Amino acid sequence: MRYESITEAIGNTPLVRIDPAVHGLRHIDLYAKLELLNPFGSVKDRAAWNMARPGLAEAVEHGSQVVELSSGNTAKALAVIAGMHGLPFKSVTNRMRIPEIKDLLLLLGAEIEELPGQSECLDPTNTEDPLTLFHRELSGPGTSYLHTDQYFNPRNTEAHATGTGPEIVKDLDGRAPDYFVACVGTAGSSTGVARVLREHDPRVRVVGLVAAKSDFIPGIRTLDEVHEVGLFDPATYDTVESVGSDEAIEGMLALARRCGILAGPTGGAAYYGTVRHLREIDEQLTEDQAAGEEVARRSAVFIVCDRIESYLSYTKRRRPDLFRQPVRRNDPADLTDAEIAAAPAIDTQEAQKWLERDRPLVVDLRSPFAYAALHIEGAINIVDQLFDELVRGGLPFSTRQPVLLVCPVGEQSARYAALLTRMGHPDVRSLTGGVIAWRDAGAPLVRD
Amino acid sequence: MPSSPEPLTLEPRLERRLAALLGAGGFLPSLVDALGSPLSVVLPEQIAENAERFRAAYGTHRLGGRVYFAHKANRSSALLRRLAATDAAVDVASLGELQHALGAGFTPDRIMATGPKNREFLWLAARTGVTVNADSGGELDELAALVRAHHLARIPVVLRLSAFDGPGVRVLSRPSRFGTPAGELDALLDTVERHADALEPLGVGYHLDTTSPEEKARALEGCVRAMDACRARGLRPRAVDIGGGFGVNYLAHAAEWERYTSELTAAVLGQRPPLTWRGHGYGLRNDGGTLRGALGLYPAHRPVAGARYLDELLAMPAPSFGGRSLATLLLENLYDLYTEPGRALVDQCGLVLARVLEVRRTDSGEPLVRLAMKADDAALEEHGVLLDPVLLGRDGARVTRGGDGPAAGVYLAGSLCLEADLITRRMVFLPRLPRPGELLAFANTAGYCMDFQTSRAQHQPVARKVAAWEEDGSWRWCLDEQFWPITRPGGER
Repeated sequence: MRYESITEAIGNTPLVRIDPAVHGLRHIDLYAKLELLNPFGSVKDRAAWNMARPGLAEAVEHGSQVVELSSGNTAKALAVIAGMHGLPFKSVTNRMRIPEIKDLLLLLGAEIEELPGQSECLDPTNTEDPLTLFHRELSGPGTSYLHTDQYFNPRNTEAHATGTGPEIVKDLDGRAPDYFVACVGTAGSSTGVARVLREHDPRVRVVGLVAAKSDFIPGIRTLDEVHEVGLFDPATYDTVESVGSDEAIEGMLALARRCGILAGPTGGAAYYGTVRHLREIDEQLTEDQAAGEEVARRSAVFIVCDRIESYLSYTKRRRPDLFRQPVRRNDPADLTDAEIAAAPAIDTQEAQKWLERDRPLVVDLRSPFAYAALHIEGAINIVDQLFDELVRGGLPFSTRQPVLLVCPVGEQSARYAALLTRMGHPDVRSLTGGVIAWRDAGAPLVRD
Repeated sequence: MPSSPEPLTLEPRLERRLAALLGAGGFLPSLVDALGSPLSVVLPEQIAENAERFRAAYGTHRLGGRVYFAHKANRSSALLRRLAATDAAVDVASLGELQHALGAGFTPDRIMATGPKNREFLWLAARTGVTVNADSGGELDELAALVRAHHLARIPVVLRLSAFDGPGVRVLSRPSRFGTPAGELDALLDTVERHADALEPLGVGYHLDTTSPEEKARALEGCVRAMDACRARGLRPRAVDIGGGFGVNYLAHAAEWERYTSELTAAVLGQRPPLTWRGHGYGLRNDGGTLRGALGLYPAHRPVAGARYLDELLAMPAPSFGGRSLATLLLENLYDLYTEPGRALVDQCGLVLARVLEVRRTDSGEPLVRLAMKADDAALEEHGVLLDPVLLGRDGARVTRGGDGPAAGVYLAGSLCLEADLITRRMVFLPRLPRPGELLAFANTAGYCMDFQTSRAQHQPVARKVAAWEEDGSWRWCLDEQFWPITRPGGER
């Protein structure tokens, strides 16, 4: 395959069969439409390209900014497309909760504005919500924006009606699947694909998946939020069901570990919701077959929207068990309360005398910023995280060098004093009450 | 359209003390008999307990500093005097509030003057030596002039900042009328230095009107940066004031709130009968089948609120300081933490009682319950707080859902001769239709909803206020202004 431009690589994604041993359905062939293999990583590449394309030439001529309300994949695709055409891109959002995506967008050169949270003291007369202001700015006179407007732009749906949908039919040898399952974000892909499939076979059942109301799955709206989407039409779906974030992660793990499909949580939610929906139908088919009826094989397709890599922190937060760390040596967490309580310590007054007499090395465990602001004269700064790393390998200073450990209130320093003592240091002490007690005793602090 | 048979209840969250008060039988009816309807009841012991919870959140993060009660949330003397007997402080936003705080036993070192200030307010603040949370350079000039003109001692000042920027993604903030933009800090510090004889910079702060911890975290980082700028000039600031806005969880069940808001959405879209008086949408509207607007309601169910919100905020990483927690950032830099919770400190601290005067049906057949109160006596609608009142029978016993009768969806109207005087614009679901003479108790209204808006319109009475407490297994009370933490009616404790 040779292409003139990366945008030509958008679409024509594979339709991959999921091993029945994984999903356990006996009468239904299950296929995943791998939108994660689009060049910018998601199903949104199609819509972004289709929406932006007609206005690009004019935008380039006027040097317009491309703008969109997007929290993730659409912004990512648009940022790339805008960049390729030398245009700036701005995303305004109140939903961007995935740190990796934020960083990636900044890396791609996007400007991101996050909308403020809800007001704590309501002002019922307030009409100046930031979203309204944004729209007003876009429609103001003399402005030059290319607003792709994904929630209301019919070209979003069209990208799937002319691309995704027909591709599925083609790969199923000209037939529409019996079931089509899609997560609802902008509703663009589900609406466009459903339209094409129904044109081929009106009997196709369309399942829309939304997030459980109090839950959060990136890229999916909750049952309430879908109503805010202009492209959302309840008539598109035969049924709308909800999926939780735990279920989405279960589905994501099954796809990644057992099928080799590195889908993100949205794809995981689609897989989980699909299998859950079809299981009952499959059991009914089994019963029908046992009763002597002839049961024809069925097929189902779900969409894998994007890739797993961007959701590591999202997953880590919900399932820390999946990110097992190896056992660590010399870990302060292993210390008992008794050991910490017995750690050698010294108060400000005694410490001042000790410093005068024996010149111990003063190690300040606070962050460089705090250390730079004020510290005990002569102290060196080894921030606790770094100190953690250092002691894992062994004692970071000679046993002949006395050491005074300093932290804000003497809690961490006591922990490390206990650890270093256990590791064999004969004269390490923790400053009781920390640098706060030092300051409150009127002892000198310097900023140098 | 007839009302829905399905009761969409929003049961208030009641902690032990407030639940006990509502279960105290004839106690509340006898108070209303004596003092009239409406009647506000406050629970001074609860505010002390709430202050302790905030203190505990400080303790978790080893932080020192002060918890300032935002006085404007409730004007009760009993609550203020009880708080004066704890280690909490108070922030006052008017001359009257300052006088009240001084009179309640707060010493000047435990008072901070905030908000828009007139000259008398500034003078009394400077005269008594309370901390002044200054909104602008102009205010600092005025304060310094007062100090010099009247030969007063140096006044501790906290500099209120706003419009923080931070690294990475730009976070938009609701524009605020208060504070000096963080970008103009240098000029502000010039002013402070110019008045070094009169003003003693204690720290910097912010007060953001948002429920989002991310915006607050960013502002807090901005404050730490500002503190460092102070230190670089040789100043010795000690405290970062992060304001309030930690929120209250008003409802007992998350599921009820979720169902209610879903049904409200459906009603606005015309997919079910309306839930509100004349189809009011609380900010939502139907735009050709698409939902537009924004829900103008307080998020009544908040899984994380009050002291826990503070705890989680302090545990958040500070991205531009190596990802260490905000608490660590404050601690390592040796800064005290000031907070100014208002609503959250009076969570569960009281209720408003109203007598049922009349129950009738509207033209469209919906029950309308008229109460002996005005909408502003329990300004739930004004503050967008949705929760069901508790129905107390004539004997004072709480009416709960019986097995036989269905719940009653009613509208609650006030006693003003105004179409707009509705206590709620939404249908409220009670265990059954109330009867004249019974009481409705609006629970947990001590934060802003009790007397923030009260008026004497139409010569209607404003709710009187009493303090109530438990003693030897029964409930005792006195008029709010009679309450002192050391004595009780009938003599010393």
